[in-house]
Amino acid sequence: MQILKNKTNIDFIGKRKPAVFLSTIINLAIIVGIAAFGFNLGVDFAGGTVVELKFNHSITAEEVRQRAQKGGLEDVSVQNIGGADENSFLLRMGGVTQLNEESATKARAAIEGLGNVRNVYPDLANGIVNFRSATALTPDAIKKAVEGTGTGVQEVRELGEAQGGGFDYQVVASGMADKVYSALGQGLEKPDFEQRRVDYVGPQVGKQLRNRGIMALLYSMVAILIYVAFRFDFKFGPGALLAMVHDVIMVAGYYLVTRREFNLTSIAVLLTVVGYSVNDTIVIYDRIREDMAKFKGKPFAEVINIAINDTVGRTILTSLTTALSLIGLLIFGVGEIFDFAAAMLVGIVVGVYSTIYIASPLTIWLDERAAAKEARQAGPIDQQPKAA
Amino acid sequence: MNRGWWWKFGLIVAVTLGTIWFLIPTYYSLVVMDRDQRNNLALLEERMPSWAPPAKYRLNLGLDLQGGIHMVMRVDTKTALQKRTERRGQQIASYVNDKKLGEVTSDTDPEKLQLTLTAKDPATMDAIEKEVLATFTDFTRVSRSGGTLVLAPDEGQTNFFREDAVNQAMLVIRRRIDKWGVAEVDVRKLGTDSIQISLPGRSNPEQAKELVGTTAQLEFRMVDDTNPQFFAQMFQQNPPPQGSNITLTEEGGFPQLSSPSREALLEYVKGKVPDNRVVLTECIADPVRKNDCAAYRSYLVEENVPLTGESLAGADASLSQLNEPEVNLAFDPAGAREFEKLTEAGVGRRMAIVLDDNVHTAPNINEKIGGGRARITMGRMGARTFEEWLGEAQTLALVLKAGALPAPVTVGEIRQVGASLGDELIKKGGMAALLGMGLVLLFMAAYYKKSGIIANLALVLNGLLILAGLALFNATLTLPGIAGFVLTLGVAVDANVLINERIREELGHGKTARAAVDQGYDRAFWTIFDSHVTALIAAFILFFTGTGPIRGFATTLIIGLLASLFTSIVVTRTFMTYFVHGRNAQTVSV
Repeated sequence: MQILKNKTNIDFIGKRKPAVFLSTIINLAIIVGIAAFGFNLGVDFAGGTVVELKFNHSITAEEVRQRAQKGGLEDVSVQNIGGADENSFLLRMGGVTQLNEESATKARAAIEGLGNVRNVYPDLANGIVNFRSATALTPDAIKKAVEGTGTGVQEVRELGEAQGGGFDYQVVASGMADKVYSALGQGLEKPDFEQRRVDYVGPQVGKQLRNRGIMALLYSMVAILIYVAFRFDFKFGPGALLAMVHDVIMVAGYYLVTRREFNLTSIAVLLTVVGYSVNDTIVIYDRIREDMAKFKGKPFAEVINIAINDTVGRTILTSLTTALSLIGLLIFGVGEIFDFAAAMLVGIVVGVYSTIYIASPLTIWLDERAAAKEARQAGPIDQQPKAA
Repeated sequence: MNRGWWWKFGLIVAVTLGTIWFLIPTYYSLVVMDRDQRNNLALLEERMPSWAPPAKYRLNLGLDLQGGIHMVMRVDTKTALQKRTERRGQQIASYVNDKKLGEVTSDTDPEKLQLTLTAKDPATMDAIEKEVLATFTDFTRVSRSGGTLVLAPDEGQTNFFREDAVNQAMLVIRRRIDKWGVAEVDVRKLGTDSIQISLPGRSNPEQAKELVGTTAQLEFRMVDDTNPQFFAQMFQQNPPPQGSNITLTEEGGFPQLSSPSREALLEYVKGKVPDNRVVLTECIADPVRKNDCAAYRSYLVEENVPLTGESLAGADASLSQLNEPEVNLAFDPAGAREFEKLTEAGVGRRMAIVLDDNVHTAPNINEKIGGGRARITMGRMGARTFEEWLGEAQTLALVLKAGALPAPVTVGEIRQVGASLGDELIKKGGMAALLGMGLVLLFMAAYYKKSGIIANLALVLNGLLILAGLALFNATLTLPGIAGFVLTLGVAVDANVLINERIREELGHGKTARAAVDQGYDRAFWTIFDSHVTALIAAFILFFTGTGPIRGFATTLIIGLLASLFTSIVVTRTFMTYFVHGRNAQTVSV
């Protein structure tokens, strides 16, 4: 069996200009889109709480949302996951603790009502309120006062006697997951749901994770570029790099357009795409190098076209086998694993395309420029065959 | 076939058999054993045939697959440092005033962590500055103008303090988890000020909260030794129920109850304790797994808590003049008075140092201790090494400090997966992997015939190698890891596609089967090598920057790519060579 029966002789390189033009437009559109709309950041990066619930009876997402609202949970998004008969839902909330601007103001008033209290500092990011009291207070009294305003208190810490008189205290607000549990279970003797998963990421950690993800992407691109430059000629480097950037942007486009959650797994996908995208590029580069020796004297662009035609069958095949392996994940994968497979699929397809229409044209262009420069310096008579 | 071929063939057979052998613990742990017993290594060892590899080389399931909690706690070292700087400022001020060098007030800048000393009489500042800098070496001079001196904590000291604060918090968290008796807990430092905790199989968020909750409670309580035979009599009069594993031990003339289960022990003594007395337990560390409790021993202590960690100003481990480790305690003025009173009344008795309801140690009070300074000696060295002996003193100092100097701990991240979800994910992940692999196998066999089947054999071996590799490195299989597994199989078979396409091409050039196969492998080798290296670069970077499940993904990818280099080049080539050489074939089925 053979997919491409006869050796192809398609003029890939001849169509490079419109292709590069089109790619540039799409890439720019994605970058603008990211700048304008941003990703649908998951809790990994945005910070927040995700709770996965499974009900033991049939219920719709809208009903869950209404129940949550009735229980006092205002900003919550409810999403159905898995099959319709599974009654599983993802509840997403912005905050990680029950302390937000509004509840902090109320809590502050309650604390100030306790007596001679100064320096009340709510720290929304960590869900903490620090304050100093002139007289010693009991943690129970503080807890009661704050809980009276509707904010759950996990603990009140006594930080000890302060310099210059007074006592320091720290109120730690409860997490959102607790609130979900109590809000949805309100009025029920026994909750009719099971809390299957809780993801909670503090905003600082989220920022840290995001920065680390971006750094990881940059590092791996640079490292791969160095390897390619070392193994091939330096003029191959920029093409491989640009192809990688193109693929990463296109896969990022998947997350942008579908509005699927962008999280740590997405970074893993982007990194894998970086590693994988360069695979196809290397297959063709290897062949270009081989053909350069074989077809000495032919123009570089033509050599590249031959190399692409020689390898196009196998490039399609390797992409096909990798894509086949992902089908199972597309069918059985839920949530981030489905996205992993779908985004990888995008990466595989654009990887093939970018090798032909991004990496190769740039390499040709660089070569032509170098040749032109050489020609200018050496005079027109001395021009050497480029592929030598 | 020549000798070199047989060597290669032997290697492949050996690797295959070794891999299968190495997967025995994984098979038993995931398939044969009950799901609750998966992490019970002792039972696993027992169940497996004696010739199987050690049980610890089983494939670990990540928290997302077996259910459990992954937490990252941030130790608020900044607040702790602020408090410390404030405290030191007070100490400096009172030191200056005591020494009659002048009169200063201290003020702390919480943002810059700087201390401003202002002298009432600016003329005295020269002398004060000299004395303060000479005495309080943990501070350096920032600036000075007239009667105002600005000091900042020495950076080395600050870092040390920060590290110390994180270590204290880790210790406290460890002890709390130990109290629950959970096996397989992983507590480790993450970066400079975070602690990562993995609790497999535990999915009760209430208990996870307890971990973050209240700062450690340090108490000093008197042990009731009025009747040294108290536990012995209880044991004889009311023998514990059959199978409760409660035994009587004796050390230093005080019989104690001992049990591997804290709950069982406390349940047994319930109702048998006099008024105003409570039973607390001490954790006897497991000789091998030092962080686990092998047994719990009972203490009868007074219910009244005369002194808590709040009165403790500091604790340090040091060596005595006899070169024996000891822990020095310092109390604040009120604590010092209370401690003196306590020790005066309790000479000859034992005082239990209790942290979070765990008796840490119960030293004898030898004499009345005044002045707010006390020393705990660490007993005889005995069978311990000197390092262990000193280490115990350092741990005790940490324990004491943990109660005394709490650096607030906040939750950075909690990821919790219920066990039922974990089971479902394993099932779905397994089906996804099987389907993906099945499709690839079918395609390869249909498209490349015999050489496709050879590639398939290599692919299956690759899959087994990944699992065995994960088990060997004690890595964990996570949900993204399963995705990585599937993807790696797809990439691994790419190598064979490259080779087979090349062979077809060489055949197309009119080469003989033999030459085509050789050429195909030789020409494709560097391409495959390069593509694997670039993928490995990305995978390694992912490994070093990722956490939790993502790290599992990277591990799977790395092992899979390395295995793929072996299976897709060495293994398939050996078999292909057999078909074209061994039979002197003129054609090859690609």
